[in-house]
Amino acid sequence: MSGGNPEGLPKDVGHRLEELERGLFTSDLSVNEFLLVKEAGFHPLGFVMGSSIHHTGVQTRRWSKSQELTKLTEAMYNARELAMTRMEEEAEVLGADGVVGVRLDVNYYEWGSDAAEFVAMGTAVKAEDGGSYRNVLGKPFTSDLSGQDFWTIMQTGYVPQGLVMGTCVYHIAHRGLAQAIGTVGQNVELPNFTQALYEARELAMTRMQDEATRLEATGIVGVRLEEKSHQWGSHTIEFLSLGTAVAKRGDEVTLPKPMAIISLDN
Amino acid sequence: MSGDDIPGAAFADLRAEVARAFAAPEGKTSGTDRGVTSDLSIDEALLLHSIGWEPIDLIFGASVVSIPVGIWTWGQGALDPASSAHAMAMTSASRRMEDQCASVGGHGAVGVRVAIEIHPRHVDVELTGTAVRPVGRAARRQRPFVSDLSARDFALLQGSGWAPVGLAFGASFVYAPRRTAGTVLRQSTQNVELVNYTQALYAARESAMERMQRSALEMSAHGIVAVRVDEGPMPFARHVIRFSSWGTAVALVAESHVGRQPRVVLALDDQVVQFAPEALHGG
Repeated sequence: MSGGNPEGLPKDVGHRLEELERGLFTSDLSVNEFLLVKEAGFHPLGFVMGSSIHHTGVQTRRWSKSQELTKLTEAMYNARELAMTRMEEEAEVLGADGVVGVRLDVNYYEWGSDAAEFVAMGTAVKAEDGGSYRNVLGKPFTSDLSGQDFWTIMQTGYVPQGLVMGTCVYHIAHRGLAQAIGTVGQNVELPNFTQALYEARELAMTRMQDEATRLEATGIVGVRLEEKSHQWGSHTIEFLSLGTAVAKRGDEVTLPKPMAIISLDN
Repeated sequence: MSGDDIPGAAFADLRAEVARAFAAPEGKTSGTDRGVTSDLSIDEALLLHSIGWEPIDLIFGASVVSIPVGIWTWGQGALDPASSAHAMAMTSASRRMEDQCASVGGHGAVGVRVAIEIHPRHVDVELTGTAVRPVGRAARRQRPFVSDLSARDFALLQGSGWAPVGLAFGASFVYAPRRTAGTVLRQSTQNVELVNYTQALYAARESAMERMQRSALEMSAHGIVAVRVDEGPMPFARHVIRFSSWGTAVALVAESHVGRQPRVVLALDDQVVQFAPEALHGG
């Protein structure tokens, strides 16, 4: 994966980030999250972003065949990876230890059909005690955990290592006319649909786990599985799994015992 | 909220506050000449009182600034007239809000709702919020702050040694570049990054964020929290990308940041355990 900014971008970026080095921080964290990140021993440095407007190619799909559309999978993966890498680079410029509250979005604009904006944004943070929280690849960690989740997980001895993802764009075969007629009026499982969904999901999850293994993580928390058709019609679906890979750093669990409350709000 | 200030004393205060609230419509309260108007919820108002602040009045700031005719048609680079109209509208709307806040004796406005509408010929900015002040303190000499944080967030910040100083904002508009027919055709089956679009978006984003940061630095803030961004093509001119961002600029006013040990709670109000009185009557 070639990261980096396309030509002409670093100039603009540098200027905004220079200002941040003078002591001002920007953050899209809410006040609660800001206070909790401080409580966890980190200080926000800046709102970092990366984006890429990507044109997705086409791939012929066979009407009656279930298959992965590798070209589309590649496009979806590479574009996200590019956005993430650019975000990490901004965090690197700020000397951050990590990025919390990362959001990944895909926006479609009308001026470019087949062109989508992939954007990653989050808040770069730095440990106040000067400790290093970089991951095994020597990069700042990234995490889609909210400020609340970040504080909670830090109390249990786990440290986020990176936002991991896996994706798979899959074409699910249509049923033939004979098949459709054969099952009219019956309760039956449609094994080809079931199988296709299973396979696509497995592929996405496996790819995510591979990324976590590369980071030498002990687990992935907050996994989400999203299924989207984007603009490809109902039989082509992208399965995207996302989560934060974590690794155990210490044995000390400082999480206070939860207190049961019954709120009186209606 | 920290745990040690909840029982006993605070409850007595609460009663006094309720009594004060009842007395307010009859004009028996001290400090204000007229009743309090505010769009804060009861919880938020009580929370403000618990940190020694009170709402005073609902205040507004609005400004409509015209945009020169014809700038939305085709061009290249940034649309400076549009971004300067945006900046002008935001600045004068918040200036008006500060003035109104000062005139009712407030130290600042919290819970400000920011409504920005961009029309082809004008920018329309409306701010609505509640003026607040510390109970029994005279109007402050500095300019009042304007903040889009809720009263709850304000109380949290206050308790941690931070204070809002104002609304930081920035916007930028750039033309999306055009691809030639040949390029479109060549790229139609490929996975490629559209570099010039990406650059246009970066240009818009960078200058908007930089403007926001500069406005925060002018207020000598230490940071901007709860930054919100709004990006995308303009509905009436799809080849123009807008990027606007805003948030509340905050400054550390205490010696150092005051940590507050969070407590972990497990909410028991769930559908399953909720008590439904009507169930006792057999529907």
